[in-house]
Amino acid sequence: MSSELERVVTVVPEAGLHARPAATFVETVTDADSDVQIAHATDDDDDLTPAASMIAVTSLGVEHGEEIRIVADGPDAAATLDALERVLTTPEDELGGENATATDADATTDTNA
Amino acid sequence: MPEQMSRRTLTGTGATPRAAVGTVVWYSRDSDLGDPDETSVDPPTELERFEDAREAARAELEAERERTAERVGEQEADVFDAHLQFLNDPQIESGVSSGVENDLPAEHAVKRAFADPIEQFQDMDGRMAERADDLRDVRDRLIRLLTGSERVDLGDLPDGAVVLAERLTPSDTAQLDPGRVAGFATVTGGRTSHAAIFARSLALPAVVGIGDELHEVEEGATVVVDGETGELCLDPSDEHREEAMATGEVDVRTDPVSTADGRAIEVAANVGQPAELDGVRAQGADGIGLYRTEFLFLDRQSPPDEDEQYDAYTTALETFPDGRVIVRTLDIGGDKPIPYLDLPDEENPFLGERGIRRSLDSDTELFETQLRALLRAAADGDGELAVMFPLVTTVDELDAALETVGAVAKQLDAENVAHAVPELGVMIETPSAVFAAPELAERVDFLSVGTNDLTQYTMAAARGNENVEALRDPTQPAVLRAIERTVDAAHENDAWVGMCGEMAGDPDLTELLVGLGFDELSMSAVTVPDVKAAVRSIHTDDAAAHATRALDAATGEQVRTQLNE
Repeated sequence: MSSELERVVTVVPEAGLHARPAATFVETVTDADSDVQIAHATDDDDDLTPAASMIAVTSLGVEHGEEIRIVADGPDAAATLDALERVLTTPEDELGGENATATDADATTDTNA
Repeated sequence: MPEQMSRRTLTGTGATPRAAVGTVVWYSRDSDLGDPDETSVDPPTELERFEDAREAARAELEAERERTAERVGEQEADVFDAHLQFLNDPQIESGVSSGVENDLPAEHAVKRAFADPIEQFQDMDGRMAERADDLRDVRDRLIRLLTGSERVDLGDLPDGAVVLAERLTPSDTAQLDPGRVAGFATVTGGRTSHAAIFARSLALPAVVGIGDELHEVEEGATVVVDGETGELCLDPSDEHREEAMATGEVDVRTDPVSTADGRAIEVAANVGQPAELDGVRAQGADGIGLYRTEFLFLDRQSPPDEDEQYDAYTTALETFPDGRVIVRTLDIGGDKPIPYLDLPDEENPFLGERGIRRSLDSDTELFETQLRALLRAAADGDGELAVMFPLVTTVDELDAALETVGAVAKQLDAENVAHAVPELGVMIETPSAVFAAPELAERVDFLSVGTNDLTQYTMAAARGNENVEALRDPTQPAVLRAIERTVDAAHENDAWVGMCGEMAGDPDLTELLVGLGFDELSMSAVTVPDVKAAVRSIHTDDAAAHATRALDAATGEQVRTQLNE
């Protein structure tokens, strides 16, 4: 059974999908059991790029406020999308440091469920 | 003379008028691995070597992340998260495996796997290009671990080290212990590169932009690095060494100075970090002529609040209880990444929204907070505070900035918070400001000529671009005449006028600047003693005549001829 799901998410962190938010995003993808690909929301399927690659993710040059499309395929596709959406919609200052621990931990649990 | 033959001298751009002798320590050599020896490659072994190196790199990065978070701050440690993810990147992983399967040793496979992504980022604009540096960093870390080369810890160098590097980034120089380093030399960079400015602010002998020839200098070699002549001398003679050591002696004068015929000239220093304050004082500066406030805003996730800024400004004022501290309001644009500001990716950030433009438009709240902190510091701090606005190009901008100052003062009044409006000034950095100088001067207490930007914008020659370095010369007739116009406009409108660019720190130009009529000169701390000495030997009449002759010259060469007479 194919379990491919997709979602369009607006990137909230001020830094866009760079630096810390990008690192957290890729880490979440790596921890998941699904295959994840991303692209700009306006791009075709052909432009989907592997989301487990920091190089690929960073080179999309996604800025704050832009929409991206995430496609997940695998047993935990829905949970993975939820976790990734959380990363992309958490302002950056809550991603880092102590405030973030709860969010990050939740995300990881979801993903591995 | 065979002895002379072995004494090679490499030439670059001198960053500091000081020389030193020391022992070469290579910091970041671009990965030059030579040709791979493909005959002895066993792919599974190489793959294992790569995995081991990756594991070791991960451990290093995590340790550095920890240390940076503790010593500097959580935000500054973020870059290591990005590096960890680049290290794990599947694209790199598959690139390395395919390299190894094609009989490349692991270090060559790593170099090849990174080549494409580095080039890809390199070709993008603005801050995306900085990702290329991140990738280079990760690549070089892996190659270092694979080739077993010694790791150089910039914070723990042997005494008298002359550091040689491809380039030095702000995070590199932040680690350098200036007490131990004799000097440094780099392959890339010009007089206004980060490395050169850093060298001057710490009085470190340095030569930048030597080019690929620098790679020929071997680890452990004895060299003289002469920031005055811009030369790196390999295997110097005994006399040359002694001579170099002698220039290390600094003659510090602590009192304010006047020309030989009694005109007082304020000789101040430029400061970009609180850590520099004590050194600046020790060099004998009368005050701070340019206090850059960007350090308060960079490398963090949220802006500094009013109290944090207030503390920083009063600390600077306390360092000069009898002097003046001129603070420049936030001067930021799309060339510097600030995560909490919505800085646009601009095609040409130097002609984009930066300096006062942002303060009046996108960052109004930030500007008001900074002004509140400054007005409070003006009332409470020792010493005399002055505030100036960067990159003003129109009278309207200045009017709007002054209006904000008024509004902030009113606010503080209403809140019963102690405050005072400090002396206010405008930086003259663009031809437009030069042409508007009379009207600008009419509205403020002082003008300050920022020669680095004024030269860049007048000559249309970008800072940091080595190919146009020759045009970026403040003694070009066009720049000199712009400066003259500014000085006259200030004085005709009862404003005093200072200079805070590189030009102010060149003792060979002090007579010209005094002749043009400057009241204040602000420079890298290292040149303060030399400029003070120069001021004391100057007669103002002679200096004025000297300036007139320079202004009459039609070409840069004629100006230089006049200046040398």
